[in-house]
Amino acid sequence: MWQYLVNIWDSVKTPLIGMRLTWRRLFTPSVTLQYPEERWDLPPNSRMQLFVNMDDCIGCAQCERACPVQCITIETVKAVPNEVEETSTGHKKRLHVAKFDIDMAKCCYCDLCTFPCPTECIYMTPSFEDSAPDRYGLLYHFAQITPEKAAELAEKAQKFDEAEEARKAAGRPAAAAV
Amino acid sequence: MVASQHITGNALRTSYERQGDDLILQMGPQHPSTHGVLRLELVLDGELVKHVRPHIGYLHRCFEKHAEALTYPQVIPYTDRMDYVGAMCQELGYVLTVEKLMGLTELPPRLHYIRVLVAELQRIASHLLAVGTYGLDVGAITPFLWCFRDREKILDLFEWLSGARLLYNYLWIGGVAHDLPTGYLDRVREFVDYFEPRVQELNDLLSLNKIFIERTAHIGIMSPEVAISYGVGGPNLRGSGVRWDLRKEEPYCVYDQLDFGIPVGTGEHGPVGSAWDRYMVRVREMLESLNILRQVIARMPSGDPNAAMPRRIRPPEGDAYVRTESPRGEIGYYIVSDGSEKPFRCKGRSPCFTAISALNAISQGALLADAVAIVGSLDIVLGEVDR
Repeated sequence: MWQYLVNIWDSVKTPLIGMRLTWRRLFTPSVTLQYPEERWDLPPNSRMQLFVNMDDCIGCAQCERACPVQCITIETVKAVPNEVEETSTGHKKRLHVAKFDIDMAKCCYCDLCTFPCPTECIYMTPSFEDSAPDRYGLLYHFAQITPEKAAELAEKAQKFDEAEEARKAAGRPAAAAV
Repeated sequence: MVASQHITGNALRTSYERQGDDLILQMGPQHPSTHGVLRLELVLDGELVKHVRPHIGYLHRCFEKHAEALTYPQVIPYTDRMDYVGAMCQELGYVLTVEKLMGLTELPPRLHYIRVLVAELQRIASHLLAVGTYGLDVGAITPFLWCFRDREKILDLFEWLSGARLLYNYLWIGGVAHDLPTGYLDRVREFVDYFEPRVQELNDLLSLNKIFIERTAHIGIMSPEVAISYGVGGPNLRGSGVRWDLRKEEPYCVYDQLDFGIPVGTGEHGPVGSAWDRYMVRVREMLESLNILRQVIARMPSGDPNAAMPRRIRPPEGDAYVRTESPRGEIGYYIVSDGSEKPFRCKGRSPCFTAISALNAISQGALLADAVAIVGSLDIVLGEVDR
């Protein structure tokens, strides 16, 4: 009987303790942010969206190999010597990057691709509002060369190689003579 | 009667059917209180549960087979996705295994301390989710929201540290992705000071609430014998009164140098090993984690945590098994290496899988309404059960 009354007393008392807490919470400012209107600062190293600075990309495809889900596709064309440019980090761009596609629908945001990059041209950005109505909208093309231009460059590189071969074949005896 | 048998003999399975006098009820896979996609086949005698058959595999993602096709560092994002609410502890188990395989023992002390720091923060975050959703399972919504408010602070800390909120890929083999940012430890200390009174608030609000105790302290009783025979680990095992914590039994990182207690279930409000005991062990473990965090902040050595990071991850032939204490129990990785860059075999040992296997033993004779509360008290993450 006594236990019965104690139970009743506890059942009234302990919810009241909880209610006191919730009542007190009523008068403190809300911690909820109303997202589209209110925004909070994201840390600069937030991993939200991959971005490639193509000016610095040398087409080494190390990011492609590091990716665990194969969301990066890179195709390159050899550059002829007078076309070789330098990146802002001083690396020689010996390859034209004809195709640099990142499928953000496949991306697992693990950040493994950014570490091997020698010129630090691929990195995660804190922009997170990049949803798309269909998954093709999440396929990002970073290459600045059109397919036609790429084909032209490939032809040029091939011609250059052939010329080089011919020059070597012809030049070897001449060089030996000198 | 004949007509109904004809219908149940149909290949089309409806959501419930009769077998003799028993009613078979399908709970899930889309049930709000199964914490993921778990289907429970409940054999009911009236309102009493006779058997529970968990059907798993809805989240199976071939982690183990997948790992064989990836290089060692590439597996780490996949371990994150095994237990997505305790990702740091999963990474820790994996990287410790690879380090053992490679024979990396001379690691900088700062690295060990950073790993303990993130593992304990993750333990608090994971337990907050566990106790919050457990309150939600039995009908208390406010504690859930308050727990998530505090968990958000830990996720913010992790986001600042690694760039991601949930799936970090932060702990690497022999190192970490980034060193701690400037002022990070001050922020952690701020959080520790903020959070300690919140645990008391949580106790007042939920843990010691008489209604909550009456609801949970007499159901899902897991005796120590049952717990040990099923290989249950972590708070579920300690809730049964067994003092077993791998941080003490087989210390890894620097846990042997830290001073902390192991809370066990005491059966204050009912039999030992009840759902309330398991719940309360988690709440008390959060306080112990805060205790560990204080010590880690005070002792954090300086230096470069990545000083001993190997450039190429290519372990010699052999195998290794390392088990660590994740928020849900004993997480173990068994890796066989054939000397290449990819693991020949990578086996994950999941504490949630063992917990769910004990579900039938502890919920027999319970009421149907209690089945939800029992499943919730085991704190299972289906990503880890199915892998």
